[in-house]
Amino acid sequence: MYGWGGRVIYIDLSREKVVVQPLSETEAKMYLGGRGLNSYRLFKMVKPGIDPLSPDNVLCIANGVLAGTVLSMTSRTEISSLSPLTGILGDGNAGGEFSAILKHAGYDQIVITGRASKPKYIWIEDDTVEIRDASDLWGLKVGELVDTLRDIHGDDISVAGIGPAGEHLVRFATTMIDKYHSGARGTGAVWGSKNLKAIAVRGTKGVEIADPETFYKLAKEDEEWFKKNEFVQKIYKVIGTHYGLLAWYPGWRYYEKYLGPEDLPEGIRPPDFAKYEVGRTQCYSCPIACKDVYKLPRWNEYGVASEFESIFALGANNAVTDTEAVLKMEHMADEYGMDVITLGDTLALAKFLYEKGIITDTDTGGIPLRWGDAETQIKLIEMIAYREGFGNKLAEGYRNFAKIIGPEALKYSYDVKGLSRGWYHVDFLNGIFTLAHATSTRGADHLRGRSWAYWENDINMDPELVKKLLEGGLPDYRKDPVGALIVSERACTLTDSIGRCKGSINTWPQAIPLVWKYPLFKGLAKLLTAATGYEFTEEKLVEIADRIYLIEMAFNVRQGIKKKHYAVPFPPEIINTPRIQAEIKRHWEMVDEYLKRRGCDVETAVPKRETLRKLGIEWVADEIENKEFPEWDGPPLWSLDKYPHGR
Amino acid sequence: MAHRYILAVDYEKCTGCHLCELACSIKHHGVVNPYLSRITIITKPEIQASAPVYCLQCNDALCARACPANAIYFDEKTGAWLIDYNKCIGCRECVYACPFGAISLTVKAEPIKCDLCGGDPECVKVCPHDAILYGPEYEVVRKLKKGKAVGIVYEVLEKGVEVPAGNRVKDAEEAVKTLYRIWEERKKLNI
Repeated sequence: MYGWGGRVIYIDLSREKVVVQPLSETEAKMYLGGRGLNSYRLFKMVKPGIDPLSPDNVLCIANGVLAGTVLSMTSRTEISSLSPLTGILGDGNAGGEFSAILKHAGYDQIVITGRASKPKYIWIEDDTVEIRDASDLWGLKVGELVDTLRDIHGDDISVAGIGPAGEHLVRFATTMIDKYHSGARGTGAVWGSKNLKAIAVRGTKGVEIADPETFYKLAKEDEEWFKKNEFVQKIYKVIGTHYGLLAWYPGWRYYEKYLGPEDLPEGIRPPDFAKYEVGRTQCYSCPIACKDVYKLPRWNEYGVASEFESIFALGANNAVTDTEAVLKMEHMADEYGMDVITLGDTLALAKFLYEKGIITDTDTGGIPLRWGDAETQIKLIEMIAYREGFGNKLAEGYRNFAKIIGPEALKYSYDVKGLSRGWYHVDFLNGIFTLAHATSTRGADHLRGRSWAYWENDINMDPELVKKLLEGGLPDYRKDPVGALIVSERACTLTDSIGRCKGSINTWPQAIPLVWKYPLFKGLAKLLTAATGYEFTEEKLVEIADRIYLIEMAFNVRQGIKKKHYAVPFPPEIINTPRIQAEIKRHWEMVDEYLKRRGCDVETAVPKRETLRKLGIEWVADEIENKEFPEWDGPPLWSLDKYPHGR
Repeated sequence: MAHRYILAVDYEKCTGCHLCELACSIKHHGVVNPYLSRITIITKPEIQASAPVYCLQCNDALCARACPANAIYFDEKTGAWLIDYNKCIGCRECVYACPFGAISLTVKAEPIKCDLCGGDPECVKVCPHDAILYGPEYEVVRKLKKGKAVGIVYEVLEKGVEVPAGNRVKDAEEAVKTLYRIWEERKKLNI
């Protein structure tokens, strides 16, 4: 097979069995790879209602059809499973080198089931796939883990693995790739529950391209755009996602307010972080290098990639403005393997509840929770990773933590389907922003229905392109937010499925290659045709994107997601005011419109049989039609003493 | 006499993205595979510190000297040492002889080395950071000198490249100013 690696690895850890099978041509054409292939595989393999931390859960790791090719930024690994954090579909998309190197070894996906009796790691070198003993690796922090495996296997390998947080089943533990790239939604805890510490891979086979000349020509054209773009060259290369601090309104003190560019306090402005920066780095085949390498004199440590999200969640939202401490916390999250957004939001929620008196010193074990107290926060992060004391409760993650505290606390959990990105007024960006949170298939999240939502402050948007696209009949979010969102959800789904980065710049022209050549997905269709030798068209790509999205919706229906879970969160103090009630009414109107256009039942939010038939997946309807699934209320939680504790 | 053209890498600018490897392999072999590249980037992916390994096109090339079949010859036109595969016997002596490890082997144990793409190197074109230089000797060497002269202290493969913090803060402030400027311009466009 051209483009694809052409093989899938199935590993049953309970029986220590490895089976390598060819990737079916039909599956490849229907789901492309990456997120598409993972979501499909999970729908097929995960039985509804299982415990995400049980051996029944399935861990899928896939790279995407264009991963490891000469098209730049094709270095994203998609890690999917039933999420222990949210209890619905959970997938994380991480950078690093893993994706490309796995492709160079000739694989498109790794599917892991069961649970090993002892800690294991997996070694992949081209045709060799081995399950190896990892007793010596268990307990290592992510940096030490990667260094140890490099000592064993050489420095041209890539490592995906977990840190202590994953081992301790922290529900927002992440899969860490090459030390500093993280795939969230609690996938790290799934590795831990399977006694799997790491996967190391070396690949020397490379990728075969059907029409290398055309493909390379297109890839070069694509790269040219970045070389010429002023934003990329003068801002993004210099401060990376830190520019988001000025453009994306970070939440302050548990979303008490949102900071505009002029409100940003001293200590967390982009130039403050430059003081600690010693270099810049990037993922495989990226021409931008958006990640900073920083040095922490106070701790004599080096860290990488202090992104906007870590500064906003661990810094601003907790009112911490000590630059070096924010960087230290980000580095700790990398080392222990935790998601910075859920970590920061959970800490901020705890502080907020403490201030309100909903939790007290009895709950926290005598630890005072104060805004801006960096020292305590650093201590708490360590306690969470090892599930010590109060950290054990916090390690359950955002909504689950609030649920343990009680209904009073749950009112302040600003989540959609268990995941939080704060609360926003529906009129913000004409409703598209909140709608995107509500319709995301992994819970409130900024990357599922990205970027149309950022239109107005998306300074990288090429104005000429925007004009062209609008003239060509593309929905304008100011007139048709629902239509605009569906288009951007398609764009994000395709990006995740070809294995390209959409996080490195906050805009989708770079995510969908050659998009500036109207119409929308024509460039991508050309690239895929050249890479694989199969005929792809713009219409086919739209169909693929919708197929993947609906299969994800169907997965969540089986997990008990009902229409009411498309609600957007508001603080209880204002929810009954006329303004908010009017906003909520408008939101539900948009949800109805969205479900209608997506081909779902407007009353139940279940994908209709005829829609699924049109997309060639009618068998999905058999799984969800006329069936009762218990209503979703987060993942099943364990009693707190059942988890591993301490180090 | 015309100036000889050389290819060189400015280590400080290389961030280790591997795009040159991928471009080199697709150009020469029609597949994407860094192991089939004539330039190799030895790097720690998490830090900006990489050591590109590439053919320096030596004046007195040890690979050519070591070749028992006299298959390696100098191409006056491009300034590159080339392999005549009609003569090559696949003994790998050239690989061992090269002091820089710049000659690779394909799976068929054919030696492969940089041919400067016939005078138009692909890696130079693809490099997003302009770290790979190609041009007349005097010009390339001058550019390299400039790179060293900014006073960068670095330990390759240990700590990464450390640029004095002051410069970076200035750069960041400059980036913020650019951001505000583009914002203003964008407002006027009224899309």
